[in-house]
Parts: sequence; C-alpha cells; structure tokens
Amino acid sequence: MPNAIAIENLTHAYKPGVPVLRGVNLHIEPGEIVGLIGLSGAGKSTLLRCVNGLVKQTGGTCTVLGEAVETLPEGRKRLLRRRIGMIFQEFNLMERLTVRKNVLIGRLGYTATIPSCLHRFSAADVRLAEDCLAQVGLAGLEMRRVRDLSGGQKQRVAIARTMAQGAEIVLADEATANLDVLTKDDIMGLLQNLSREKKVTLLLSMHDLPLAKRYCTRIIGLKQGRITFDAAPDALDDHAIADVLDRLPPSGMG
Amino acid sequence: MLVFVVWCFVAIGRQIHVTEYGLHHGGDYFARLFPRSQADWRYALRLGPDLWQPLIETIQMAVVGTVGGMLLAFPVSFIAARTGSIPGPVIAVVKSFLNMARAVPTLIYALLVIPLAGLGAQTGAIAIGIATFITLAKLYAEALESVSVGPIEAVRSAGGNAPQVFVYAMLPQVFPLYLSTTLYSLEYNLRDSFVVGIVGAGGLGQKLSNAVNLFEWLDAGVIIALVIVLVNIVDYFSYRVRKMFS
Repeated sequence: MPNAIAIENLTHAYKPGVPVLRGVNLHIEPGEIVGLIGLSGAGKSTLLRCVNGLVKQTGGTCTVLGEAVETLPEGRKRLLRRRIGMIFQEFNLMERLTVRKNVLIGRLGYTATIPSCLHRFSAADVRLAEDCLAQVGLAGLEMRRVRDLSGGQKQRVAIARTMAQGAEIVLADEATANLDVLTKDDIMGLLQNLSREKKVTLLLSMHDLPLAKRYCTRIIGLKQGRITFDAAPDALDDHAIADVLDRLPPSGMG
Repeated sequence: MLVFVVWCFVAIGRQIHVTEYGLHHGGDYFARLFPRSQADWRYALRLGPDLWQPLIETIQMAVVGTVGGMLLAFPVSFIAARTGSIPGPVIAVVKSFLNMARAVPTLIYALLVIPLAGLGAQTGAIAIGIATFITLAKLYAEALESVSVGPIEAVRSAGGNAPQVFVYAMLPQVFPLYLSTTLYSLEYNLRDSFVVGIVGAGGLGQKLSNAVNLFEWLDAGVIIALVIVLVNIVDYFSYRVRKMFS
C-alpha cells in the first residue's frame, strides 16, 4: 500500500539561516494515528503546514496521497487540500456564522466560486453537513452561531468540517490543548473513530503525553527540527521523553 | 514638550485683545442668530421651504461622496495592505501616496475641483469623494492587516480559493470595521459637505455663506440649527447600526 504521507529530507526556514525543520524523514501509512510530540518551537506546526502546502518547504520532498506538494501549482494544491482536513488549537471557525455554515466550509473546494461566495450550497452538501454534525453529536445545533458554543462543541464542529470535506488525512495542531480533561478524551475518541471507520490517517501535534500514548498508534518526537524518536506508544518511556523534551517527565507519565 | 505647549499659548495669547466694543458687538451678533420676537419666529418658520432644497443637496453631497469614495477605496485597500500577496515596494508607494494625500483637507480639494467642475453640489460631492477615498483606503487597508490568519488557514486548508478565503475568512472579520469606519466617514462628510458649501460647493453651507455676507443673522441661525439637528440624527442612526453589527 502506498504511503499516505512520505517526507524525505524536509527542511524549512522562515528566515534564512534560522532553520525550523532540519532534514525530516517520515513515512506514514494510511489509517495510522501518529502523535507528534516536542517542545514549543520544535517545528511541529511547521511540519503539519508543509504537509498541506500552507507553508512552502525550503528543501526536500513531501509526497501526500501520491502527489509531490512542492511541485504542484496552486490550483492543483487546492484540489489536494480538499483531501487533507485540518483542525486547530484556536478552532479557527467563523464565529459569526452558523454551525452548519462552518461545516459547509468543508465543501468550498467542491463548490463553484460564485455560488459559494453567495453562501449557496447544493441540497446534497447541506444534507451531508447535517449528517456530519449528527455524527459528532451536534444534531439540533445546526443554526446556532458558533460564538455561542463551548470549546468542546467548537472542536466537534471543526471535526465535522473535515468529515464534510471527505478528508483522507486529518492534521491536528494542538487540537485538544484548550480543552478540559473530559472533553480532550471526547475529541480524541471522535478522531480515533474517524480513523477506524473511514481509514482516515491522523497526524496530531500534541503536548499531552498520556493522551498521545492512549490514542495514537505511533509517536514521533521532534527536537530542534529533527526526528529523534519514532516508535509505538509503549516505547515512550521516561528516558525517551527526557530526550525529546530535554527534561524528566512528571512521575507516572512514562 | 511642555515648553513647546507654553510657547504656543503665549504666542496666541498675545494676539487676543478683548475690547469693550468687541464684547458688546460680538454678543450682539450672537444674540441676533436667535429669534427674539414673535415676528422673528414667524420669519424663521417661513424660511423652512427655502432651506429644504439646500438641505437635501447637503445630504446628497455627503452620500454621493461617501459611497463613491468607498467604492474606490475598497479595491485600492487591497494593494495598500500588508497581507503577503502584494510586493512590498508597491504597498510602500500606495501607502505613501495615501498618507501624503490625507494631509490635504477636504476644503482644499473643493477649491481645486471648482475650476474643473464649476460651482455647485457636484463639486462638493467630488471633493468629499476624493477625501473619503483617501481616508477609507488607508483605514480599510489597516483593517485587512489586522485580520487573524487562523480562519484564513482554515478556509485554505479546506481547499478554498482566494475569493472564498475573502468571503468566508476575511470579510466576517473586517465587516464590522468596514461598516463603522464608513459610517463615521458619512458623519464627517455631512459636516464637510456643509463646510465645502461655504466656498461655493452648494447645499446649506452656501446658503449660510450668503446669509452671513448679507448680514441676515437670523437666516444664519436657522441654518446652523438645521445642521446641528441633521448631524445629530445621522450620528444617532449610525451609532445604532454600528451597535447592531459590533
């Protein structure tokens, strides 16, 4: 089976001479749930954004769903992005719009420019959006404004958006960092179901190590722009955590 | 700084010469702005129909100038905003032009437009339009620069193209700012349309100028009262609309 994501010697620098990624090699199979751990500034967010082409890499190759992201013209890159959902720590939803409209944003890549700019979507898209909302447990809240939702509900809307998008890969940038303990588990459970039922590949940057160990099938440790750990969650012991995070974990974490 | 402020006050203060004659006549002129007898009241009320047309002209000047300026400012703001899609030198040139042009008051634009468009409301509307375009282009550009990138990333990562990014990620963020700056602009333009009228650009301002030149103080008083009422009505509705969208 071809890799969902194949990254070879990837480098990136926002400013010349200050590299953020320093030669990352990573191959991810379809359906894997990969937790990306590391200190702030290790390059986790940049790596995620190189995968969907929001950030243009400085060197190396990044092949996603069989397409080399760096060589694609912007139009083709947009077509590829439809297949890669992304959820964020700050949710990045349109707070003034309704829940349903936010999910329909996942259909923008499939809708012609003029109708979509007039907020017109097909009846099938609207049904799909409502179906996705029901799957994340938000049936009945379709017409609510997003700004009136709790943090956990907002992240569910973001997940429903990636589902409406028909994403084969979901990138999550600290998606549970702003949520309470129980809600974190809910959100991770939803993502895990998405992976199991629809074979969606997940690449999740995370700070919560116990959560990463509980839900991920593989953990990648990123340190100063390089991968220093790549193994099953069981192998993430105190020694490995100390190496990736440059400090000892709180007791009982490893 | 303090020395500079004191220096300004002293320089201006030296030129103030309060005389008994000035106090008496200044007060007298001011008093003549108000009706003092029943006959004055009747006269003031009879002025109404004569002022209706200039009043409408003043409002039309402000509306045409504001909307025209807004329509020009909207596209130009995109090439004046540092959003990553326009080359830096282009932005620098456009911003410098806007900053320099902003230093010129609307009244000066009106004086420059009079030889081209003649005396009348059309001149006032053009002058107000130019000033509004310059102010709004700069303010719209600043609104675009203040947009948070998160929603933009979200729409782009869903496969959205540039127009979709604008409609879904940027417009909801900048719309309240666009609306409030445009409404403020309308309020200022209403005052400006009165001022440019004084130099011959039509409307109530021109009526006021004529009244003062002919020493018709009561007429001037009625016109000033009309302007105060008009500006306050527009301020009130503008405040309500801004509050609705904030």
